Amino acid sequence: MHFYLPIAEMSANIFIFLGMGGAVGFLSGMFGVGGGFLMTPLLIFSGIPPAVAVGTEAAQIVASSVSGAIAQWRRNNVDFKMGTVLLAGGLVGSVFGVQLVVLLRAAGQFDMVVALSYVTFLGIIGSLMMIESINSIRKSRSGKSTSGRRPGQHSWIHGLPLKMRFHRSKLYISAIPPLIIGGLVGVLAAIMGVGGGFIMVPAMIYLLRVPTNVVVGTSLFQIMFVTAATTILHAYQNHTVDIVLALLLMIGGVIGAQFGAVAGEKLKGEQLRFLLAGLVIAVCIKMAWGLIGTPDEFYSIGRAIGGGH
Amino acid sequence: MALLLRATGTRMKPTVLTMAARLLMIGSVAAGLGIAQGAVTDTAMAQSSVSGGANVVQPPAATPKRLREIVHADISTRSVQVTSSFTGTEIIVFGSIEHGRPEHAASEDLYDVVVVLEGTPEKLVARRKSNVVGLWINTQSMTFESVPSYYAISSTRPLDEIASPLVLRNHDIGFDKVRMLPVGGWESGITTADLRKFKEAVIRLKNSSGLYVQSDYGVVFVGGASLFRTTIDLPANVPVGNLNARVMLFRKGQMLSQFKSQVRMQRQGIERYLHDFAFGYPLLYGITAVIVAAGAGLAASSYFNRRRA
Repeated sequence: MHFYLPIAEMSANIFIFLGMGGAVGFLSGMFGVGGGFLMTPLLIFSGIPPAVAVGTEAAQIVASSVSGAIAQWRRNNVDFKMGTVLLAGGLVGSVFGVQLVVLLRAAGQFDMVVALSYVTFLGIIGSLMMIESINSIRKSRSGKSTSGRRPGQHSWIHGLPLKMRFHRSKLYISAIPPLIIGGLVGVLAAIMGVGGGFIMVPAMIYLLRVPTNVVVGTSLFQIMFVTAATTILHAYQNHTVDIVLALLLMIGGVIGAQFGAVAGEKLKGEQLRFLLAGLVIAVCIKMAWGLIGTPDEFYSIGRAIGGGH
Repeated sequence: MALLLRATGTRMKPTVLTMAARLLMIGSVAAGLGIAQGAVTDTAMAQSSVSGGANVVQPPAATPKRLREIVHADISTRSVQVTSSFTGTEIIVFGSIEHGRPEHAASEDLYDVVVVLEGTPEKLVARRKSNVVGLWINTQSMTFESVPSYYAISSTRPLDEIASPLVLRNHDIGFDKVRMLPVGGWESGITTADLRKFKEAVIRLKNSSGLYVQSDYGVVFVGGASLFRTTIDLPANVPVGNLNARVMLFRKGQMLSQFKSQVRMQRQGIERYLHDFAFGYPLLYGITAVIVAAGAGLAASSYFNRRRA
């Protein structure tokens, strides 16, 4: 059954995109990740223009982060003060990121920048996860217990001004690092069509030393609002949010996530991370090949932006 | 007879079903009244042809024995509706040659018919990639003022056998004969070689995406030498906009007569509503997209919560 997508301007088989949403939803339910960093490349690989993929995926992440954030909030796992500081940075980053998208599209460099961002971030995250999971699998095989967090140290972060007290996280730190982290995540959300949890979660754990139980809820709180703002800005400035495509992905994603969560409980943490790392690296290599491999066709055409519709 | 036929012709909607009836009608009218009619200019034909087959009946004009051949044609689909289930369509162009002399249908004096269906001109950017420190990046670009979004040619023989390149150029027939002017003109430092390469690339890419199509033996004569028809494929990726149809009659490398018409192509139903909403009220559209996404997230979380509880 085909449906003509109003913004992507192409006739698409709805089952392909429902299935794609379901598959990525399954993985995100299984691994406990947002899935934007898998969904956007998949949409691009399937022929959706990169700008539409990014704008539409932002809308889908709103849906998945709303349900995630509510679940975390019910368990009292959201540090609202920390979340608000991250959000303030995130909104500035999102506005900046969308302007960057406008400029890059006009210059014809957006597709390249999206691919390059994915290769960079997926490459780094994928390799780190791969190394970490291999190490912990090895350790668990040799019988040693896996070490948890290292004890807190006084780092340079504690020397910064504008200190704030975050009760829920039991922290007294400067507001500058969370603002910067939030801002970076906002830019990535606008350019890459991701929630940015893969940057924010490790940064909160290792740089800010936020307790692990509030990290996911707090980052989901920020992602929910930042992707909402990003969706509105993309729709307003770039006309790249395809509501029909987003709905298909949401429906598939919601169903897939439920099955994924069940499947995830049956696998060990290290094995899960190893599988996810493999997947991330595979997507990274596919993206990288598009940038490095000699193309069959050196030319490309597109409608001039700024011309009438 | 002519009056009777005109009555039926105007009452019937131009559908594929009635197409065959009209095809026959045009043929018989042309054969029956042919001698009594005078030569009609191209523009007069274009204007009068809008009302389907009835256009054949023209006031007789005083003309000497040798009557000019006139091409009459019609299109099966005058209006293409792009709805949510649009997966492309087929357009049948059919017609007849009035005052056709059967003796010319033999040997080298064949009549040739060329049918051109052209999409709305659009501003288009072509970009060329080159290798910059290992990465394939768009480095050169050329913007063309107006390039037909879609261009289909169907003819009785390969174009180069029908007329000389000069004649074809004068009538804008052929992909390479389409006028493509770069924005900024020659002042922007474009060389002839560059322009040629970019033009070739545009044609090649449009061709490979099914938007520039050519069928060398697409037009076939049916029932003798005076009736012809051709089928043109309008794929789902044709940019939405009105199409111009031209039916041209050639003999001995010269154009004898031309028929012009338009195919209206527009969005309909939910497709039209969503597109107008996204481009007419982008801010409201963005906010709506977020509300839909948040609603979907809320619905999913409450549904699965209730199921688990």
